[in-house]
Amino acid sequence: MSIRRTTAALAVLTMILAACGPSGGGDGSGAAGDCHVGMAWATFQEERYGLRDLPGLEAALEAGGATLTDNDAANSAETQASNVEALLDAGIDVLILNSAEPESSLQSVEAAVDAGIPIIAYDRELESADALFMTHDNVGVGRMIAEAVTEAQPTGNYAIIKGQEGQTNPLFLRQGFEEVIAPLIEAGDITIPEGAEVYTDEWLPDNAQDNMETILTANDNDIQAVLAQNDGMAGGVIAALAAQGLDGEVAVGGQDGDKAAINRVALGTQVVSVLKDATELGTAAGEAALQLCENPDISAVEGAVESTTVGGIEGYAVLLDPLPITRDNLQAALDLEWLTVEELCADVPSGTVDECP
Amino acid sequence: MTTQAEPIEAPLAGEPRGEPVRTSLLSTLGVDVRLVGMVVALAVLWIAFNFLSDGRFLTPRNLWNLSVQSAAVAVMTTGMVLIIVSRNIDLSIGSILGFTAMIVGLLQAEWIPDLLGLPLNAPGTWIVVVILGILVGAVIGGLQGFVIAFIGVPSFVVTLGGLLIWRGAAFALASGRTIAPLDPTYQLLGGGPQGSLGATLSWVVAGIAIVAFAIGLVLNRRRRRRYGFPVRPVWADVTIGIIGSLLVAVAVWIANAYPWPPNLAEEYAIENGIPIPPGGLIIPTGIAYPVLIAIGIAVLMTFIAKRRRFGRYVYSIGGNPEAAILAGINTRRTIMKTFILMGALSSIAAVIITARLNASTLALGTGAELQVIAAAVIGGTSLAGGIGTIAGGVLGAVIMQSLSTGMTLIGVDNAQQDMVAGVVLIVAVGFDSWLRRRRV
Amino acid sequence: MTATEPVKPATSGSRPPLVEMRNIRVSFGGVHAVDDVSVDLHAGEVVGLVGGNGAGKSTLIRALSGAHPPDEGEIYIDGEKVSISSPQDARNLGIETIYQTLALADNVDAAANLFLGRELTTRLGSLDDAAMESATREVMGRLNPKFKNFKVPVASLSGGQRQSVAIARAVHFNARILIMDEPTAALGPAETEQVRDLVSQLKAQGIGIFLISHDIHDVFDLADRISVMHTGDLVGTVDKDKVTKDEVLAMIIIGKPPEQVSEKEMAQIIH
Repeated sequence: MSIRRTTAALAVLTMILAACGPSGGGDGSGAAGDCHVGMAWATFQEERYGLRDLPGLEAALEAGGATLTDNDAANSAETQASNVEALLDAGIDVLILNSAEPESSLQSVEAAVDAGIPIIAYDRELESADALFMTHDNVGVGRMIAEAVTEAQPTGNYAIIKGQEGQTNPLFLRQGFEEVIAPLIEAGDITIPEGAEVYTDEWLPDNAQDNMETILTANDNDIQAVLAQNDGMAGGVIAALAAQGLDGEVAVGGQDGDKAAINRVALGTQVVSVLKDATELGTAAGEAALQLCENPDISAVEGAVESTTVGGIEGYAVLLDPLPITRDNLQAALDLEWLTVEELCADVPSGTVDECP
Repeated sequence: MTTQAEPIEAPLAGEPRGEPVRTSLLSTLGVDVRLVGMVVALAVLWIAFNFLSDGRFLTPRNLWNLSVQSAAVAVMTTGMVLIIVSRNIDLSIGSILGFTAMIVGLLQAEWIPDLLGLPLNAPGTWIVVVILGILVGAVIGGLQGFVIAFIGVPSFVVTLGGLLIWRGAAFALASGRTIAPLDPTYQLLGGGPQGSLGATLSWVVAGIAIVAFAIGLVLNRRRRRRYGFPVRPVWADVTIGIIGSLLVAVAVWIANAYPWPPNLAEEYAIENGIPIPPGGLIIPTGIAYPVLIAIGIAVLMTFIAKRRRFGRYVYSIGGNPEAAILAGINTRRTIMKTFILMGALSSIAAVIITARLNASTLALGTGAELQVIAAAVIGGTSLAGGIGTIAGGVLGAVIMQSLSTGMTLIGVDNAQQDMVAGVVLIVAVGFDSWLRRRRV
Repeated sequence: MTATEPVKPATSGSRPPLVEMRNIRVSFGGVHAVDDVSVDLHAGEVVGLVGGNGAGKSTLIRALSGAHPPDEGEIYIDGEKVSISSPQDARNLGIETIYQTLALADNVDAAANLFLGRELTTRLGSLDDAAMESATREVMGRLNPKFKNFKVPVASLSGGQRQSVAIARAVHFNARILIMDEPTAALGPAETEQVRDLVSQLKAQGIGIFLISHDIHDVFDLADRISVMHTGDLVGTVDKDKVTKDEVLAMIIIGKPPEQVSEKEMAQIIH
């Protein structure tokens, strides 16, 4: 038994090593087609990338007759810098950069610009006018989480569970929260107790769980709602609530559209999971890359709007709309084939939601 | 190596170089001074946090939470102590944790149900899941240990590779999906009010511990007497017995003083048709299962380290690898075994964390290697090898978790928490080397 | 070769030698550290092994102790050919070694070192520390009655105490063959005297001892025969009573048997 398992693990390893190779991804391995697109991933360590972003991107490029070369930086800025170099050396026509660390990525951007290669900043913003920022509207995601949660729980004590400190995404999301809750705080409807807004090391669910337990202890369970910045951490928060018998009573919001989270929405322990269809983003990036192969002017890409970066640089962006999944529109997730009915309805008592028989 | 007429410079036999001066109370009691120092440091830390948090730190609820939060890191630290003592390191444990977390999640939520057509909470599957999970961890550890011990690749390199490999493999297992919910019975292994012993059983455990401790003291005394060895004064043994028993009793009393949260108690009352008294139903929580697991493992690992040949060999290798080889010890096999053990302990930690979280997520265990190494080192394990105790490592884990929980409780933000943890690590090790220099 | 023919030791009878190492060769990267050396040892006999730095004494002895098996050559114990490929094999044949480095695990106590690799266990397989401590106290009581620090790591012991732990380890297990590599190098005069007494005692018990020493006086006092090595070769084995210290010194330095050494060379040694 254990030997079989080891063999399986080794097979898995081989697959990973193959996928890490410089010519993974596209099926033409770079020789065929006029348009050669390079994709530098920050990390494959999250559910979405291999499952959604990459297939979307691949499909769009394949449809346009382009080839793809991609590599993974495993969240290391240094690795990514050399990965981008390798892509540029491979003679790509368009660079899609999913930055591991936006500041260090600027050098890579410069190198691409020097080589006359148009750049798409994929899902993570770069402080450069030369990169076309393509993302779901993250501020909008934050807004949607807060809107759904405040609708379910318009008053009371709010806890805010943020992601890793020092990254930009937690800031965008927090800004979206702020737009919704600031007036309510001002009106005295909502309070964030001292110490109830925390960052979470590495976005880890178990760290979020520890933090939530401590917040509950500090406030004698007097917390009515939690804004979590992703679904993994929302899961940790809900586990902490469950240990106090408060799951389902406290309104919790998150994002990513994790299957487990949408199941929790159906169960009623989570109010909302804002879903960013990463396949859609991958597809959009693929289509934009095809256009950039024809015409390297980023402002000419379909859907590009003028936008300002966090650092105040004027540039262009393509912003896709996220989709909040609540108990009212679970069917939307099913329609996207995001998850199966079985996955949606695991443990859900029949008759509590329409989608679950 | 061979002859060289060097001047005779060694001191005479019997000269008491470095012989400890046996005068202090602690040395009469025969207690590890270092360990006592750590307990005192922990007490000071707790009191300070209690003061800063307006009395919220030293509450049964917070201490109970703290015990559960420390469990997984404590379990892994017991293995890391042996690894470091034998002059190795294991950087892969966080990734092994992440990989086995996916294995146990998939096993119970998908593989077993799909293969055998059993529902998620079929009775007994959790046992199969846990055993298979531990096996997978042990095999991974064994694989790495084999390369380290028999092929001779440094453990730093092999486990650094392992850190990348198993994290990647964890991703490949389920394309990064989160596996949830998990088997309700399995979830009990993660603690929570239902995943705890309750008052009566907690006292039974305390009773067993106290009786075992007392018997141990008596037997040890008898045995030394029988061999005609010097023994501690009776009052010293009695004092140790009383202090030990009191510590156990207080710990259990605190665990029992944390009642079930009102909502859960109410649910339980309704389900079981128990009338709810006016003040609310008070159900003592008691020792949480993961804490019981961690304590059991710490006791077992201490036994292995101190009372089994394997443990003796691990320490000897750490003290002088050449001497261990010349003494006919199979050092390679011993080293490989430490890594098998480490892998198994990492998967036990994976079980505790996933059960507690009610989910297997990809990133679990990220950075755990550093937490665990820090806990071992704060607990007095020397990175030079040969020195370290399991109890110290566990205490180190509790200190680390106390810092993190305490600072969150008083609203210190994340970045500053990391800075404080770093300073504590350096201070602890600095103090340790100062202490050792002074003694020798 | 005639003069270097092994001299019959005083105790010899018709029995085969306790140890016979024949044509031993050990190479390190093409260099012969020990080249075609044959020595033997009888029960109740002390054979001194002397030579300058790099003469190959320790390497030869490591071949017997299992620490570094020889590339070529044969080893006979009681006339029977044996194969020694690990320290364990040597111990199983009753060969104990006191290494010059002492080979102690510094972080554990005397008893743990004494029984390292062959711990006493209870019926359930746990370490029987009390029994080991008792045995340690017993053997140390004979070897070094002043020794009291049974519960501390040997790192905190003096050089002499550490030496007595290493010696105790070798004698406790009823060795038939004892290898002592510079047993007195780290000792003061009183302890050196103790070791000398011990060697005589053990010899009287019929144990065969290989004694490696840089101290020609030690060797002359304790050994029955002396084997001299020079740059990996055996210069010769001589009966202690039939040579002078100066002659042995000449063998060590010049690397020739006494009768081949010229008057002039001899004069240089003496002065």
